Amino acid sequence: MSAASLPLPARLDLPAAAPLREALLGHEGKPLSIDASPCESIGTPGLQVLLAAAKSWREAGVSLIVEGLSDDCTAQLAIFGLSPDDLCSKELAE
Amino acid sequence: MSNDPMAEIRASFFIECEELLESLQDGLTAMDDGDTDSETINVCFRAVHSIKGGAGAFGLEDLVRFAHRFETVMDEIRNGRLEPTRDTIALFFRGADVLYDIVRASRDGESLDTATTEAVLGDLEALVGGVIEEEEAEEEIDFAPMTLSLDPIDDDSGDAPVEGTPPGLLIRFHPAAELFSSGNEPRHMLAALRDLGEITTTCDLSKLPALADLAPEEGAIGWEVSIATNAKKEEAAEVFEFVDGLCELSIEATGTPFAGLPDLDSPAFDNIVIPGTVDDGEAPETAAGEESEPDPEPEPVAATPAPPPEAAPTPAAKPAPAPVAKPQAAAPSGGKDAKQAAGGAKATVRVDLDRIERLVNLVGELVINQAMLSQSVAEAGIPANSAVSSGLEEFLQLTRDIQESVMMIRAQPVKSLFQRMSRIVRESSAMVGKSVRFITDGEQTEIDKTVIERLADPLTHMVRNAVDHGLETTEGRIAAGKPADGVVTLTAAHKSGRVVLEIKDDGGGINREVVKAKAEEKGLIPPGVPMSDQEIDNLLFLPGFSTAKEVSDLSGRGVGMDVVRSSIQALGGRVTITSEPGIGTTFSISLPLTLAVLDGMVVEAGGEILVVPLGSISETLTLQASDMEQLGAGTQLVRIREEFVPILDMAEKLGFRSPLASYEGSSVLLIAMEDNTRSALVVDRIVEQRQVVIKGLQESYGRIPGIAAATILGNGRIALILDPADLIASAGSSRTMQALDLAG
Repeated sequence: MSAASLPLPARLDLPAAAPLREALLGHEGKPLSIDASPCESIGTPGLQVLLAAAKSWREAGVSLIVEGLSDDCTAQLAIFGLSPDDLCSKELAE
Repeated sequence: MSNDPMAEIRASFFIECEELLESLQDGLTAMDDGDTDSETINVCFRAVHSIKGGAGAFGLEDLVRFAHRFETVMDEIRNGRLEPTRDTIALFFRGADVLYDIVRASRDGESLDTATTEAVLGDLEALVGGVIEEEEAEEEIDFAPMTLSLDPIDDDSGDAPVEGTPPGLLIRFHPAAELFSSGNEPRHMLAALRDLGEITTTCDLSKLPALADLAPEEGAIGWEVSIATNAKKEEAAEVFEFVDGLCELSIEATGTPFAGLPDLDSPAFDNIVIPGTVDDGEAPETAAGEESEPDPEPEPVAATPAPPPEAAPTPAAKPAPAPVAKPQAAAPSGGKDAKQAAGGAKATVRVDLDRIERLVNLVGELVINQAMLSQSVAEAGIPANSAVSSGLEEFLQLTRDIQESVMMIRAQPVKSLFQRMSRIVRESSAMVGKSVRFITDGEQTEIDKTVIERLADPLTHMVRNAVDHGLETTEGRIAAGKPADGVVTLTAAHKSGRVVLEIKDDGGGINREVVKAKAEEKGLIPPGVPMSDQEIDNLLFLPGFSTAKEVSDLSGRGVGMDVVRSSIQALGGRVTITSEPGIGTTFSISLPLTLAVLDGMVVEAGGEILVVPLGSISETLTLQASDMEQLGAGTQLVRIREEFVPILDMAEKLGFRSPLASYEGSSVLLIAMEDNTRSALVVDRIVEQRQVVIKGLQESYGRIPGIAAATILGNGRIALILDPADLIASAGSSRTMQALDLAG
């Protein structure tokens, strides 16, 4: 029921991407809540990881939620042509 | 060798390197002057980056290695992680110097003293707090094969823009791994695109793998951005100029601004797709006109601002694989001009110097031919108000204009030379521990390329002298109530058909007493002779003076100035000194605009017509018996004011005839020699004074003593152009006669 929570680093840049991927892989196949509140800057390497995770979670039909995304980060996502929903897998939740 | 295409590409890489180094210098100078515009550091970064890119393609490892570390540190400034302090910029200048040296050494296949390189590398690394990783080789060769993008060719399909739809741009952008590893972030570029107009960004997730298969450092996602804008493709390309070669990028114009044109104006033909390279690097560069670009078809990019039917060949030309180095090596000149390019850069063409040489020669022929024609017309007795004469007058004017224009082709701004001098100032001031500000003015002044090349050595010498001997020590300056920083100013300007360069310092001026005492001690002048300031200053140019190292310690001048003067004179130039105690010293160099034509005096000697360069003649006179004096058996002297000057019979010296018993009534050209001595060249008659076109003889005849070159006169006769200094020196009679002062 209660999904595990994974906090995001402040900067989703290249150095952060590989550790984030590892951390997410550790939760693969299980519902997960990503705590995006610490995040200040979204970079493409980190974004790719989150998008790939959302894709994997969706394919597995497992819930993945991103919470606490700041307005600033939402705006950054918009620059990428994305919305917070693109980072989530809500199949189960809905 | 010349047929080796690789050698040609390599040569053009090094030419580009020089341009890049120039823009690097410009950028650093701007930063040094307090320019904090982020574009400035970008220009520097791009320059170094492009040199690295090209060097990688040619396997110039030393160059790659240094450039990589250099750009890494610059990147820290770009990213705001490092402050561009004065010290940092000073280090960057040193880095640029080293880069210059490595480029030179790589080009000439020489080995380089690694000590300086390592010292600068060490300092650079210290700046970023650690060893900078060697770069993986793959970045250099990571150029995806060119693919031909003709996809929108089906323009009768639904997505083809309807005639009259608003103009816009469609950008497809897919980053590669190197884009991230080089610290670039697509978000910034996507954000920058928003400035161009209303934007729709779609993230392309089609290549995104599952998390388990994802390599986060690779580019797994891309974007398609459509912008409703009137902006040109180049403007969008500018956004991506720092990721040149680090992504796949295509930018196409959408909409149909040219309604009614045939199919050819479809955006399909106006498309640029260069995966692995960003076209923006090429756009301004082509605009800047790198004609020797091996890429056989650079025009399409340049043509983009006006995209009508000529754009058609673009797709066909694209598959031609540009040499690996080009895209990267090219980028910088683009970068350099990026700002201008957006606003329409001046188009330039790179032309083989030989071709220009040929053109200059042909124009020379034209001038000669025109002179011959004039002479024939005059001899035919055609009246001056006839149609022929007035037509000829116009022809004359045109010929002159053509000649001037042709000379201008070879002209180059002295900027590159000045930049080299700025390095000399940096190095020599560091060596003598003085703090020096170097100011340049008139960098855009143009001189014949051949003159510029031969000016480098004498200028170096003079600038070094200004720093070393011209300026006082810092303590000395403070004691004299001057600012601690010495100022060396280098200026160039056109003045009445010549180029005048000035090297000025704000030091203590020439210590004339010391100079004079030294010259007396060296036996260069008789002791106790009263001399004007000007005369004392000119002592610095005496050959014997230059060895007087001690003088330099006494803030005098004169190390090697005789060499400086002779090199300037070899260029048809003159050097003068003005110095004011406590205020400083100025050296002025006055040069002809070109070496292809010469102001000469046409003279007759022994029945032959000869040309003597006007610059070497200080005065002319007619010999009278009372002026002449016999010295020993073979030497005759002429008395000119306070001096006796040896007479040299030009015709005899050149073997035209045996010496005359008396030279009374002959004309004399007084030639001032480099060592301040004078000689009197006797000729039968002075014919006229005119401009002549110089025709080299050395290729056909080798070096002929006393003869500099030849020319063809209006009547079709060949006349030799004399090298009076050489002729007199070989006569060996001038030196002994120096300054036989009557008063003394």
